[in-house]
Amino acid sequence: MSTDARAASREAVASQEAATSQAVDPDAIIAVPVRHPGRWAASVVLAVLLAMAVHSLVANPRFQWHVVGQYLFSEQVLRGLWTTLYLTAIAMVIGVVLGVVLAIMRMSPNPLVAGSGWLYISVFRGTPVLVQLIFWNFIAAIYPRLSLGVPFGPEFVSGNANDLVKPITAAILGLGLNEAAYMAEIVRAGILSVDPGQHEAATALGMNRMLAMRRIILPQAMRIIIPPTGNETISMLKTSSLVSVIAITDLLYSVQIVYSRTYQTIPLLIVASLWYLAATSVLTVGQFYLERWVGRGHNHHRTESSPWRRYLALLVSLRAPKERTP
Amino acid sequence: MTDVADVADVADAADVADVADVAATIDLTKPAAGPAEIVRAEKVKVRFGRTDVLCGIDLTVRAGEVCCLIGPSGSGKTTFLRCVNHLQRISAGRLWVSGELVGYRQRGERLYELKESEVARRRAGIGMVFQRFNLFPHLTVLGNVVEAPIRVRREPKAEVRERAMDLLGRVGMASFADAYPGRLSGGQQQRVAIARALAMRPELMLFDEPTSALDPELVGDILDIMRGLAADGMTMLVVTHEIGFARDVADQIVFMDGGAVVEHGPPAAVLDDPSHERTRSFLSKVR
Repeated sequence: MSTDARAASREAVASQEAATSQAVDPDAIIAVPVRHPGRWAASVVLAVLLAMAVHSLVANPRFQWHVVGQYLFSEQVLRGLWTTLYLTAIAMVIGVVLGVVLAIMRMSPNPLVAGSGWLYISVFRGTPVLVQLIFWNFIAAIYPRLSLGVPFGPEFVSGNANDLVKPITAAILGLGLNEAAYMAEIVRAGILSVDPGQHEAATALGMNRMLAMRRIILPQAMRIIIPPTGNETISMLKTSSLVSVIAITDLLYSVQIVYSRTYQTIPLLIVASLWYLAATSVLTVGQFYLERWVGRGHNHHRTESSPWRRYLALLVSLRAPKERTP
Repeated sequence: MTDVADVADVADAADVADVADVAATIDLTKPAAGPAEIVRAEKVKVRFGRTDVLCGIDLTVRAGEVCCLIGPSGSGKTTFLRCVNHLQRISAGRLWVSGELVGYRQRGERLYELKESEVARRRAGIGMVFQRFNLFPHLTVLGNVVEAPIRVRREPKAEVRERAMDLLGRVGMASFADAYPGRLSGGQQQRVAIARALAMRPELMLFDEPTSALDPELVGDILDIMRGLAADGMTMLVVTHEIGFARDVADQIVFMDGGAVVEHGPPAAVLDDPSHERTRSFLSKVR
């Protein structure tokens, strides 16, 4: 933190020095700046619209803000939020890991392996995730008994499908396996974006296919893979609300349980929306830092400074004393 | 299927048993006859579809020799270089590096394709420097150099780092050890690429037009490093358009055109007194 602040102040001082030297320059251009009446008009229109929106939020009693406050931190809602968060996390982990495997399968020289990957992706991408969730929930209707053993031979473990696949398992499988199909295409695009010369250089150094993939190709593909994966995570956070149809008490279903009892539908939906918004905002910030980290070595210019550091720089430059001017 | 066809082609192209006998004789009974052969190519062909990119290359590079391949674009120089470390599969003929067939093992009269791990192990002993550097942009300069010795050869990290810093010092890049390649100029990147290849302690270095993508000002530095390598006794196979460098450093110059060797010999013979009209017209244009 202190190093951040120090760097920020150094930047501020540097920009101030640049400004001073410009002011001192006798040949500096002095001109009347162009006027932008359009920008002013747009600002005024937007300000009026914003004021109207805020006014209606405050003045309309049907928003029932006191109910929102009452349930925002209620235990039931927080437990639902927790379910939504860990469902999103597990589904994304399954999605990313399986997605990488599927992407590598699709690029395999073995046509059977590549074809299997292609088939998986088309099936899971070609059907609605809502349908898949319900399918997984009713898996016992197709396979009443699940077992592990030699194909067409003896079984080692087996059990009742209804006991093995609980609704939460069905939710994880439904969201994760569906996500894998999308992630596979994202990962594949990332891998294809890496310069073929990289693979050649790795191979010429004696690396085998897997080592080159793991150490050279995938880390570079990450730069392309991370931004859409962040979007997928944010999207998953919201898509996970579909699990309310199989009676998982996630964020949405928790508030639905409450308002079906109290009929305070609008304020409780606002409660859910506020939490969804808060979670996606945190993810967006995390995505920024992750993108900067995987992009290291690729920015020819100075690394893009974080919003936090820019904010600090702004503060420092606002307060900057003028004593350095000779 | 194609592999079977390839093998059949190979069997047609060269008398298998004879060649093996000759190689054995050289290796075993006459070790003092001169420096060992590092690269030996016999009637090497590469075919893409119906076009012959290489149509029967014969070439020998002995230990400590520098062999420069010159010729117009599309003459197959780079393709041949890529055959030597099996980045390019040959369609016919025979190619040995240090007495071992490239990409195949021979038992009796039959050729067996090598497994990926075996091909990789042999490639590890051959350094390659590319026209476009191909440094790994997500690793620092030092990371680029130590990656293969640590991951491929599994050498101890501390030892590799020390050797890598030595090599970086030798190419004048020690002070950039922690920089990322994206911030370096082309010439600096190529110097790191040379250090990266040397870190595997190769017995043969392949250079694929190492100065073609550089600013004219920076060409000299790279050529000086290569001169130094040659003086230290490194065996080198260099594809280049730098005729002056070839004249100074090469023990042997091979002039290629249309996928075939037109002329080869010591620099004085090929460059100053070419016997073929094609060589003469090429040299008159590049000088």
